[in-house]
Amino acid sequence: MNNENIAKINTFLSFKLGEEEFAAHVGKVLNILEMTKITEVPKAPEYMKGVINLRGTVLPVIDTRIKFGMTKTEYTTNTCIIVLDIEMDGDSIHVGALVDSVQAVLELNSSQIMPAPSIGSKYKSEFIEGVANIDDKFIMILNMDAVFSGNELANIQDKTKETENSATIVEIE
Amino acid sequence: MDNFKKKFIEEATDLIEGLEKNLLALEQNPEDPGLIQQVFRVMHTLKGNSSMFGFDLIDHYTHDLETVYDLVRNKKLKLTREVLDVTLSSVDHLKLLLDENNYNDPDFLTLHNALVSRVSKLIKVETVSENSNESDQGKVSIQEIQEEKTFFIRFIPSIGIFKNGTNPLYLIDEIHSLGNAKVFVHLNKIPLLNEIDPLLCYTYWEIILVTNHNYADISDIFIFVEGESTIQIQSIAEDNLLDDDYFVSEITRIAKIQKDIGLATVQKIAEDAKKRFLQSKAATIKRDKVGLKDTSISSIRVSSEKLDSLMNLVSELVTTQARLSLFAEQNNIPGLTGISENVQKLSRQLRDTAFSIVLIPIENMLTRFQRLVRDLSNELKKDVVFVTEGADTELDKTIIESLSDPLMHIIRNSLDHGIEEAQERIKRGKPKQGKISLKAFYSGANVHILISDDGAGIDTDIIREKAVSKGIIPPDKKFTKKEILDLVFIPGFSTAKKVTDVSGRGVGMDVVKRKIADIRGEVEIESELGVGTTITIKLPLTLSIIDGLLIKVEETHYVIPLSSVDKIFAVERKKIYETFNNVLVLEGRQVSFFNIRREFGLPDGVQDIEQVIVINYEENRVGLIVDTVIGEYQAVLKPLGKHYKKQEMVSGATILGDGSIALVLDTNKIIKLFSKIENY
Amino acid sequence: MARTILIVDDSESIREVVSFTLENEGYNVLVAVDGKDALKYLDGKSIDLIITDLHMPEMDGIELIKEVRKMPTYQRIPILFLTTESQTSRKMEAKDAGATGWIIKPFVPAKLIAALNKVIR
Repeated sequence: MNNENIAKINTFLSFKLGEEEFAAHVGKVLNILEMTKITEVPKAPEYMKGVINLRGTVLPVIDTRIKFGMTKTEYTTNTCIIVLDIEMDGDSIHVGALVDSVQAVLELNSSQIMPAPSIGSKYKSEFIEGVANIDDKFIMILNMDAVFSGNELANIQDKTKETENSATIVEIE
Repeated sequence: MDNFKKKFIEEATDLIEGLEKNLLALEQNPEDPGLIQQVFRVMHTLKGNSSMFGFDLIDHYTHDLETVYDLVRNKKLKLTREVLDVTLSSVDHLKLLLDENNYNDPDFLTLHNALVSRVSKLIKVETVSENSNESDQGKVSIQEIQEEKTFFIRFIPSIGIFKNGTNPLYLIDEIHSLGNAKVFVHLNKIPLLNEIDPLLCYTYWEIILVTNHNYADISDIFIFVEGESTIQIQSIAEDNLLDDDYFVSEITRIAKIQKDIGLATVQKIAEDAKKRFLQSKAATIKRDKVGLKDTSISSIRVSSEKLDSLMNLVSELVTTQARLSLFAEQNNIPGLTGISENVQKLSRQLRDTAFSIVLIPIENMLTRFQRLVRDLSNELKKDVVFVTEGADTELDKTIIESLSDPLMHIIRNSLDHGIEEAQERIKRGKPKQGKISLKAFYSGANVHILISDDGAGIDTDIIREKAVSKGIIPPDKKFTKKEILDLVFIPGFSTAKKVTDVSGRGVGMDVVKRKIADIRGEVEIESELGVGTTITIKLPLTLSIIDGLLIKVEETHYVIPLSSVDKIFAVERKKIYETFNNVLVLEGRQVSFFNIRREFGLPDGVQDIEQVIVINYEENRVGLIVDTVIGEYQAVLKPLGKHYKKQEMVSGATILGDGSIALVLDTNKIIKLFSKIENY
Repeated sequence: MARTILIVDDSESIREVVSFTLENEGYNVLVAVDGKDALKYLDGKSIDLIITDLHMPEMDGIELIKEVRKMPTYQRIPILFLTTESQTSRKMEAKDAGATGWIIKPFVPAKLIAALNKVIR
């Protein structure tokens, strides 16, 4: 019984994009940074916001809102960058995720996490690990590796065309 | 080819039968010039055709007989009984020579040799042409690796050159193909408009050509027009004068004011350029001597981990020093500026020294290749020689480590698929021994490595077919030869018909390309069917620190590698925004430019003066318009990470003294991409 | 559009080997067995280059070249001739008749292409 408990209690960091709340497993989170000056890389896809200096290394920053099919992030005092350790093509790499605000650190029991509904969700199922219902709020628990390693967008709706076009310009050849 | 061979044998049999008839008639009328001429013609035709179809014995044999009848024809040799006897025996012998099965019969060969000596006795005169013939054939397949030389070419086409269907521009194109050429077109002989005859050629050219080809290769270009045109070809330097800024600027200046340069002036400028070069060289050597260490100190071994950490520390130091310089600049504390400048100088020297430690000559890996070629050629039963040039060229050790596998693969490919079997080579008129060469040399801040073979070359038709069958390209679209050759770099593309032990194990050129790209290198392939294949790898000297020029566009700092920067000009804004074809005239030369703001999708700038950075791009100079030029900057290169892998224009980033980030631009890629987008 | 080359040679094997090489390079190839035969093609067909042998039974190469140069449409067409060795007198004769250049037999395909590149693109 003990074993079960250890295995099934997980800690998550929750954050907001617009009015929606999401959560990432803390094992993936390295740091939370205040908004800082982001250097734009020309001709990159729109969701690739740019790069920042993280203690002497260059950290790419992704606009998470665009990834989820929302308008691009408007900077406020709450805007911050979550530094993530993700797996991409078998390598572990660091990437910054720009979010509207960081909410809380949650400890969730596995029983509180329901599988993501495969029908009716506006996000691709491979990006969502599950849904937690806390104080009548739904929090989507994300598969950070899937969300931040690929170049596809997370929402299913077809408003993606426009944003992906900016990416194709540089792919000519 | 076998089909052609059959046709040839049929034809040759007819010719020989006709010859027999002619000879019998000639026996009756030994003085008949028509008959003599006919015999000569048959020999001539047999000779020409037999060599094309690989009947070397017939080729040599009829060559001698042809000589005999040429002498008879010109009354230098009497048509004696013996001559006729020999010729008639030859008729029978030629028929036998058409059957290659006979070639294994020792008796037949004895007879052959006996007849050959009988024929050559008739000639008496030594035939030297045979030798020249052979060397001529050799020239097609092997190009001796030669140092680059500079030639001056003056080409004044005859005024009626168009009449014979010659387009002199093709010849100029051909000169370009030999190397790096600077062409001066002279239009000063063109008459007034109402006097122009469009069927006549008034233009003439003066060209400075840097090439590793020799005089004969250059004059070969003009072979069709040498009779009527004035052609002057003169070697003017034993090295690359087009790399010499003084020479280039001076000759350009003269060409502009004088219209016609002339050999004497060119030679004078070349001489001056050399003097200047030697003077500056002498000065550097003197400087180097002062700091020269005792060369007798033996080398020591250092573990590569230690070297790596030394390099990291040097990188950190360079970054910190940049911060110090900035701090000194901003605070203006007495004495601090001096100290900071000293630290800058020292860290630069330290950086250079540390680099030279991690640079190792490529020689170290060549032995492995030498061995590979030896073992593999034995295994494949091919006779192949491996020659290297520029083994002392140095590269960063991490580059060399990552280079070994791709090079190995390329050499394997050459051995296995490139070099033909000995018989095939002989048939094609190539030397029996195949040749693979590896040539390394510096080119600016890059090292180029060329791997060439004199093998079969790549059949673009086969590649195209395969690409079509694999659905990679549409069947009806036209592609240039280069585009087709580049298909071999597409993953999963392997053209070898049979998979041998040596290569073709599924590891293809795509992997080579990827591995080279990982070390910021580029691969190119050139191939001539039947002549050979050359693969060129262009690599950066080092991976971690570059000397750059720090610039700013809008809010972002960029670093441009100093090695590619030619000059910087300040130009009035309106000159840039008011041209319609993006061409500026700088120091009297036209320079096409790209406005970084527009190319990066930023709003147009508002300042009155724009900065134009002139970049050396291949043979051209291309301008990049930026807002501000800040100055020289040593950039510690940091990768942008996998997410930006597709952003080819940016090769990395660097952290500035104030902690902000500057992006390092790959100027070659930028110009390539910009010009492409423009063309769409 | 692919360029069209007319090959004139009385030897079938030479015709075949030349057209094989040229077709490989993407050219359209027409063949004629001698000068007379070649002239038939020049009436009507659009031709970009002529490659001709010099010795042929009916009308030889030099005569052919002279005839072609008389035709207004072909006054400036490039003409290459095949010749066996560097016989200067023969070469000059052909050039005087109006030939653009020559190809020395025997040739490997690369040599043929190299000569072609001097006169056609």
